[in-house]
Amino acid sequence: MEYDVVVGIEIHLELTTNTKMFSGAPYKFKSEANTCTNEIDLGHPGTLPCVNMEAVKKAIMTCFALNLDIDKLIKFDRKNYYYSDLPKGFQITQQFHPIGKNGYIEIYVNGGYKKIRINRAHMEEDTAKQFHLYDETLIDFNRAGVPLLEIVSEPDIASGEEAALYVEKLRQTLDYLGVSDVKMEEGSLRCDVNVSIKPKGSNEFGTKVEVKNLNSIANVKDAIDFEANRQAELLEKGEKIVQETRRFDEKTMSTVSMRLKESSVDYKYFPEPNIFPIKIDDAWINSIKEAMPELPDAKSKRYLNEYKLSEYDTNLLLANKMMSSFFDEAMKSATNPKNLCNLLTSELVGLLQKDETPIEKSPVTPVNLAKLSNILDKGEISSKQAKEVLEEMLSGKDPETIINEKGIKQVSNQDEILKIVKEVLDENPQSIEDFKNGKDRALGFMVGQVMKKSKGQANPKMASELLTKELSER
Amino acid sequence: MNKEEIKDLALNIMFDVTDKEAEDIENEFKTLDKMLEFFDSIDTSNVEEMVYPFDDPTSYLRQDVTSKTISQNDAMSNVAKTKQGHVVVPKVVK
Amino acid sequence: MRLQDCTTNSATLALEILKKNNEKLNNIVTFVEPTIKGEGKLNNVPVVLKDNVNTKGILTTASCKILDNYVPVYNATIVDKIEKAGGQIIAKASMDELAMGGTNLTALTGPVKNPYDLNRISGGSSGGSAVAVASGAVPFAIGSDTGDSVRKPASFNGIVGVKPTYGRISRYGIIPYSSSLDHVGYFCTNVKDAATLLEVLAGRDDNDMTSSFEEVKEYSKELNSDIKGKKILVFSNVIEAISNKDVIESFNNLIEGLKKKGAIVENVSFDEKLMRAILPTYYIIANAEATANHSNLTGLLFGERLEGSSIDEIMIKSRSEGFGPWIKKRFVIGSYALKEDNQERVFRKAQKIRRLIVEDVMKKLSDADGLIAPAATGGAPLINSTSTNQMSDEYLVADNHMVIGNFTGCPSITLPMGYTEGLPIGVNLTCNPFKEQTMFDISFAIEEITGLADKVKEDF
Repeated sequence: MEYDVVVGIEIHLELTTNTKMFSGAPYKFKSEANTCTNEIDLGHPGTLPCVNMEAVKKAIMTCFALNLDIDKLIKFDRKNYYYSDLPKGFQITQQFHPIGKNGYIEIYVNGGYKKIRINRAHMEEDTAKQFHLYDETLIDFNRAGVPLLEIVSEPDIASGEEAALYVEKLRQTLDYLGVSDVKMEEGSLRCDVNVSIKPKGSNEFGTKVEVKNLNSIANVKDAIDFEANRQAELLEKGEKIVQETRRFDEKTMSTVSMRLKESSVDYKYFPEPNIFPIKIDDAWINSIKEAMPELPDAKSKRYLNEYKLSEYDTNLLLANKMMSSFFDEAMKSATNPKNLCNLLTSELVGLLQKDETPIEKSPVTPVNLAKLSNILDKGEISSKQAKEVLEEMLSGKDPETIINEKGIKQVSNQDEILKIVKEVLDENPQSIEDFKNGKDRALGFMVGQVMKKSKGQANPKMASELLTKELSER
Repeated sequence: MNKEEIKDLALNIMFDVTDKEAEDIENEFKTLDKMLEFFDSIDTSNVEEMVYPFDDPTSYLRQDVTSKTISQNDAMSNVAKTKQGHVVVPKVVK
Repeated sequence: MRLQDCTTNSATLALEILKKNNEKLNNIVTFVEPTIKGEGKLNNVPVVLKDNVNTKGILTTASCKILDNYVPVYNATIVDKIEKAGGQIIAKASMDELAMGGTNLTALTGPVKNPYDLNRISGGSSGGSAVAVASGAVPFAIGSDTGDSVRKPASFNGIVGVKPTYGRISRYGIIPYSSSLDHVGYFCTNVKDAATLLEVLAGRDDNDMTSSFEEVKEYSKELNSDIKGKKILVFSNVIEAISNKDVIESFNNLIEGLKKKGAIVENVSFDEKLMRAILPTYYIIANAEATANHSNLTGLLFGERLEGSSIDEIMIKSRSEGFGPWIKKRFVIGSYALKEDNQERVFRKAQKIRRLIVEDVMKKLSDADGLIAPAATGGAPLINSTSTNQMSDEYLVADNHMVIGNFTGCPSITLPMGYTEGLPIGVNLTCNPFKEQTMFDISFAIEEITGLADKVKEDF
């Protein structure tokens, strides 16, 4: 029997703000325990929540990027349960009125674009962090209260591959947006999936199984593939699928049943009485929209259509937000995007990798790289010379200074080169013979000789052309 | 509501009740039932719940600037058991 | 005692008096050495705070066992305001446990007594604060009012009890009961002081997302007892349900006095069914919100922690030991009201009925300047009194009408009105939202009519 795989994904995003969602305590990742809290985060009696403007702003930006309809009246609710990482005994969230609804994002799969619909995005607060030792648990409340955005997809995802693409697309988009660090390994992007299967073409959904503990995008794909398979095998045996929560075990690359919880927890959701509904005005929302950074899809269109870069080059530039940022900055003063792209991705990156310097810490500035690209474009130096100059630029110097200091220039003056060409031909009669006898390497040898005589400064293309012309007359 | 159900309700919100207390609560539920019957006789169709005393929304949002932190000492000052600046509880099993 | 009577000795003297009286009145939980932290309208004024007001470094128990070792690391906003204005805090007062009660018989430290008769209740939940003022020890004490917890004890103790508009005074740092009904309130002995005190306590607080941006006026400067043409509604449903002759007589005399002063007095009657729904509606909303609010009282991060071998065991043991049986009862009801299966029929229904009650009242009140009724059906009950008929109109409507002030958020004040068998009885006036000036003006007139300002009972 063939099955359709049906996957829905829930993502929790830690928003990058200075302070918490509902309190003015700061948050710095990896601070000493319980040094980033105040009485509100600790749920002390008598404290009241106070909503963070930047968190709302970043939520709005995300809604725009994911094509979600924005609710201009912000309302919060309480989700009530008892647990050691939840100081108030309830979490303030947006159960009934999420800030964003009915959006989508597109993934590129099987040679085409597929729309994955997003049901909702809502704001809530994070819980404390627990460290489980042998016989006790230590709790650190630094993370308690950090702003989270929960993004829930519709069950439009049909495979582990699509799921990985969805998460990656979201990650990339949100990275460009600058709303979160989006690092799964650090917990600023968390992913839970719901997997079910149904007979191919059937309209009846199967039993959903939730899978947690996915620490990388690879895990997402592997977990879903395994789980779909596990469910198919059960159905083939005539067994039923139990609705439960499983966790992904990286060592065995399988999903494992977690302790079976009670059927469903009643969170007794009700509106948060301590926060009046907050009205956000159109002027603010529009200003947020206008100030939004360019997203990968838009950049991609620009690189392909305007700059005529190849798909390969476009993807290279977009793979890293810092890379495309560098490129865009340099393009402000560069004349040839292809040249620039090449210098950046083929040359500079290689040089920086030698001591693992990330592009954002590059000693070569975008302005200077652009200058180099322009000099190359004008033919003032050769590409071989450009590589040398670039290496020198790691010291922080600009290309013109280096070129002047080293006396590097490419001679593209026909008369000058012709003079050297004639000299070389006069000195190498055997090569002329070889060339006339059809030995192709003779031309290359002679070009080399011209380069040597000109101390590498002759324009090699021009040298080759002039040699060929001269040879035809001898 | 019988005593067992009441004890479950109490446990759900993390406390035990004695038999006497459960009996007392049982009586309270009888009063509640009367109240709810009375409620049922009041027509509230098309009436929106009143969550706040005033319906006007606010437009205030807090600037994202550090304004209130307490020291680790203060944070732990009321905690019964601490270790290296952390709150200590028995091992939590998920 | 009046604010203006305070001198440099007042705080020390007041502390001595409180200590001496505590044996009989049992109204203080913690005594505090006075310190001067500011200068202003409360220079030299000794202040008592209800023990649900967080005071940094000073024990704050809300008269509840689970908090009997809780020392806050922060001040409630009003504490900073009081101290900045020169006020000196000298005690934390007893209250009904977690403010959930109307008798002050449920306090961890035992019942609070009424200075007019030690066999009678002070009323609650702000009983300790009321008694501190009524016994002449201090001119000013802070309470909180969720269903009449300032305005009822004020009546039983013959003093002024103020509950301003919702959001007028910041709730930041006040241990909550029911967030959509809680108000910070206060006691004093005369209307001029009441007006002055609001100037100190009121104002926008960014820490409280329900705090009002409305301008704080110079209420005491603008105080004017000329009420010619002011329209005052007499709450008929309450009057009709009262049987105490002294209450009725004092009230009628007061009404005559108001008319003589030129007020337009009109009888008003609200929907009977809705009036009888006030108490059950309050009960359900208050208990539901309270249950959720106190989910942080587990012993894990603060308060009395009883050890156990799991976090669940710790929470269950600490909470079972830490709450009185009446609190547990209310929490179970509150939790029941919020359960997904019941919420529509119980909690949300109550919230809808709240709206109906508010609309019914505001329809008439928004066209008038005030709504007036006796604050209680008689003097303070005996501590060992037989239970009242909980289904009578006298109980449902006349004893509990002041909850309307909490449902609507309207400012409301209780003032001394007269006596019944030597026990004080009060009158309650409710005005439109943020019309505290009107409330104080009419109160000033009432005070002139009754002549009952600055009445205290120092010997008992």
